[in-house]
Amino acid sequence: MEIQFRIIFLETLRNARKALPYLASIVLAVTSSLANAQEIDILLKGGHIIDPKNNINSKMDIAIAAGKIFRVAEDIPSNTAKNTIDVTGLYITPGIIDMHAHVLAPGRPHADAFSFRAGVTTIVDAGSTGWRNFPLYKSLTIDKAQTRILAFLNVIGSGMMSRFDEQDVNDMNPVMNANMISRLYPGLLVGVKSAHYWGDFTSVDKAVESGKLANVPVIVDFGEHTPSNSIESLFMKHFRPGDIFTHTFSEIQGGRESIVDEASRKVKPFVFAAQKRGIVFDVGHGAGAFNFNQAIPAFKQGFSPDVISTDLYQLSMNGAMKDMSNVMSKFLAIGMPLKDVILRSTWNPAKVIKRPDLGHLSVGAEADIAVFNLEKGNFGFMDVRRSKVIGTEKLEAQLTIRAGRVVWDLNGLSLPEWTMPITSN
Amino acid sequence: MGSEWAESTGVDYADNVKLIFKPCKLLIMINLAITFKRLKIVHIGAALAGTLLFLVPGISVAQQIDLLIKGGHVVDPKNKIDSKMDVAIVAGKIFKVAPNIPSQDAKKVVDASGLYVSPGLINMHTHVYAGSNVGFTDGTSSQLPDAFGPRAGITTVVDAGTSGWRTFPDFKSKVIDKSVTRVLAFLSIAGSGYSVDNAQENIDEMDVQKTVAMIKDNPGIITGVRIGRYDGTSWVPFDRASEAARISNLPLFVECHLPQYTLEDQLKRMRSGDIMTHAFENVSERMTVVDDKGKVRPFVLEAKKRGVLFDVGHGGGGFWFNQAIPAMKQGLLPNSFGTDEHRTSMNSGMKTMLNVMSKYLNLGMSVNDVIARGSWNAAQSIKREDLGNLSEGSVADIAVLSILPGKYGFVDSGNNKIEGNRKIEAELTVRAGRIIWDLNGLAATEFKL
Repeated sequence: MEIQFRIIFLETLRNARKALPYLASIVLAVTSSLANAQEIDILLKGGHIIDPKNNINSKMDIAIAAGKIFRVAEDIPSNTAKNTIDVTGLYITPGIIDMHAHVLAPGRPHADAFSFRAGVTTIVDAGSTGWRNFPLYKSLTIDKAQTRILAFLNVIGSGMMSRFDEQDVNDMNPVMNANMISRLYPGLLVGVKSAHYWGDFTSVDKAVESGKLANVPVIVDFGEHTPSNSIESLFMKHFRPGDIFTHTFSEIQGGRESIVDEASRKVKPFVFAAQKRGIVFDVGHGAGAFNFNQAIPAFKQGFSPDVISTDLYQLSMNGAMKDMSNVMSKFLAIGMPLKDVILRSTWNPAKVIKRPDLGHLSVGAEADIAVFNLEKGNFGFMDVRRSKVIGTEKLEAQLTIRAGRVVWDLNGLSLPEWTMPITSN
Repeated sequence: MGSEWAESTGVDYADNVKLIFKPCKLLIMINLAITFKRLKIVHIGAALAGTLLFLVPGISVAQQIDLLIKGGHVVDPKNKIDSKMDVAIVAGKIFKVAPNIPSQDAKKVVDASGLYVSPGLINMHTHVYAGSNVGFTDGTSSQLPDAFGPRAGITTVVDAGTSGWRTFPDFKSKVIDKSVTRVLAFLSIAGSGYSVDNAQENIDEMDVQKTVAMIKDNPGIITGVRIGRYDGTSWVPFDRASEAARISNLPLFVECHLPQYTLEDQLKRMRSGDIMTHAFENVSERMTVVDDKGKVRPFVLEAKKRGVLFDVGHGGGGFWFNQAIPAMKQGLLPNSFGTDEHRTSMNSGMKTMLNVMSKYLNLGMSVNDVIARGSWNAAQSIKREDLGNLSEGSVADIAVLSILPGKYGFVDSGNNKIEGNRKIEAELTVRAGRIIWDLNGLAATEFKL
């Protein structure tokens, strides 16, 4: 092929003057086709792409070059790629974003141990650290991980070191918090966390104050106020549109107010109004914050969370939560369509944290990709009260690609089969 | 992470058993016998009342099984059980293993039909001294044992010398005492353990007496002495590790990264019961066990014959099909399936201990044999015969496994792939009678609004 092009090129040169416009177009064609042949590092062929941002939900191939999405189209020829991976029968999605996890600070699970095997390429730490200790844990954790780790910065300077530290109103410093977010680590720090406060709205209000200064959302765990505060007031008066309510489907006797009324099992009307206002509802499953008797009635009455996330930490990892793909599958089991599950684990969280460069497969975007098998069978999914629903589908991460590199390959899809070399005696 | 009210991942069965069900049945029978005898006499009413008195507590006593795993295929290599049986747990211990234990005697019944019930698995080679330093010792390269144990049917992990006599107390208080998974340890002969600085190369830090003393203070928890990561030519470190193991009557665990020692010399110095890990590695710093022609080297077979044990120690570079397959065909089998789980190995061809076990299943090892090497064999090699079995009275560490048919790929450390048609998955993991992993909610009740 190269020789042919060379001949055409030489012939064209002879008639250069006459055919200058043709020459130009041929040169363009040659360079672009050569570039094609050289530049595609990985071609995922035969899969079904779900890319909610770009409204793609069909069989397509996807090419990766130099760590970025190079092309998404039907039938990209295999001979243009260095490595073609057959993903027939599998779903290709943007790398999953787990918007609520705890992976910073010692004693936390490793991001890389839970991310890639569940299709996750970006984890957002939900306020494990504050402005006093974030730089330390960034160097210990974020800088060493293969997973992209972003973070909400706790409104408390020391983060989540203990419940008592978290009550210290004197350590809630919106200016220090906002400066670290917007001046020191913009894009890496994506918002402010308020959590576990026992008093009034002070913690939320300080977080929102910082959120305004840094122009980022706040995420609130409203779990431990005694007595509990009105969530309607939180949604309608204290939150700005874009602020995040996490542990949406938590139901604790005598604890935080639930979104579904415990007697009538009806979603409280102001919840719909709040979502309409732009309040973001995050799952944040965790060890104690996902109850079917909240999630199922809510879903049946037309309320869906905006973001699906795990709240991964030591106590949640081996319970009903398990990992991100299990939490996603749980929503399939209660009836949410696959494309809606993917939207809430990719493009939605990317928008919420103002990282529109993530969560999609647009050409030029960093090649963070998940390839899932949608297993068929009878699977049990538990909530935190150990009740279960049976589902017939389960997402299993077959292949995870981070910035163009294969970082998880469950069954060696990207590798050739090995045969024992024949040896003579 | 709010709503942190600890999820009840299982019932705590530990302390609510007062009576035992077998002797009570006996009492009932004696009472019945007396009753029948007395039928001849006149005191029928009194006798019946007496029987009822015994029967009533008899019924409630019969409910004392905390957890009954029913209908599964029990593989318990120590007790040579390989058949359909039920397993009853009382007060955190194995109460009974028998066919058809009645469900009404149990507070909780798990239907394990179609599943295998095995002793809780033992991962012989891990690095779990997780902390915030660079590297393994109290470091970010180590993993939390609970992060990969329960979901792989593992109830016991053995740390491969990430701590030494200097650092073990810190390791114990930070990790061992705080984990749900049982954590045991090989103690490095290097006082600091497996740190990245040169401390582990310092022969003066390799103190036999201090190592032996630390082992003596932690009986059963420290299960041997590890030598690894020494770049020098002196045999002093190796010999000191071996000496400390000998005095403690425990195995020597020989890891890798001993580039100046030949494989033959290492094996020659090892005694029966000592363990060579990374058995099937193919890396420049150690001679392979299989030669270029595909033959297991004679001195390796000789060592095996003498009783030297071989652990997989898969890791990121420690398992190659061109070693493991010929070795298996020539009779050199791993005694245990250590994964060498750490930051860089966990997402490679290794993945989980069940994935490593599945490799051997697909290479032709029987289910019984795979489970034996994943439990009872491993337990014996670290002299913890109380573990790795389902004998009545043992601590109830149990793995309920499914073997999934399908088309699977398995990858070695050289990115070579073989295909297989079976894969092991952990459905339920029980540690000391408590459910610590339940993949599909086998022990959960169906949701009703």
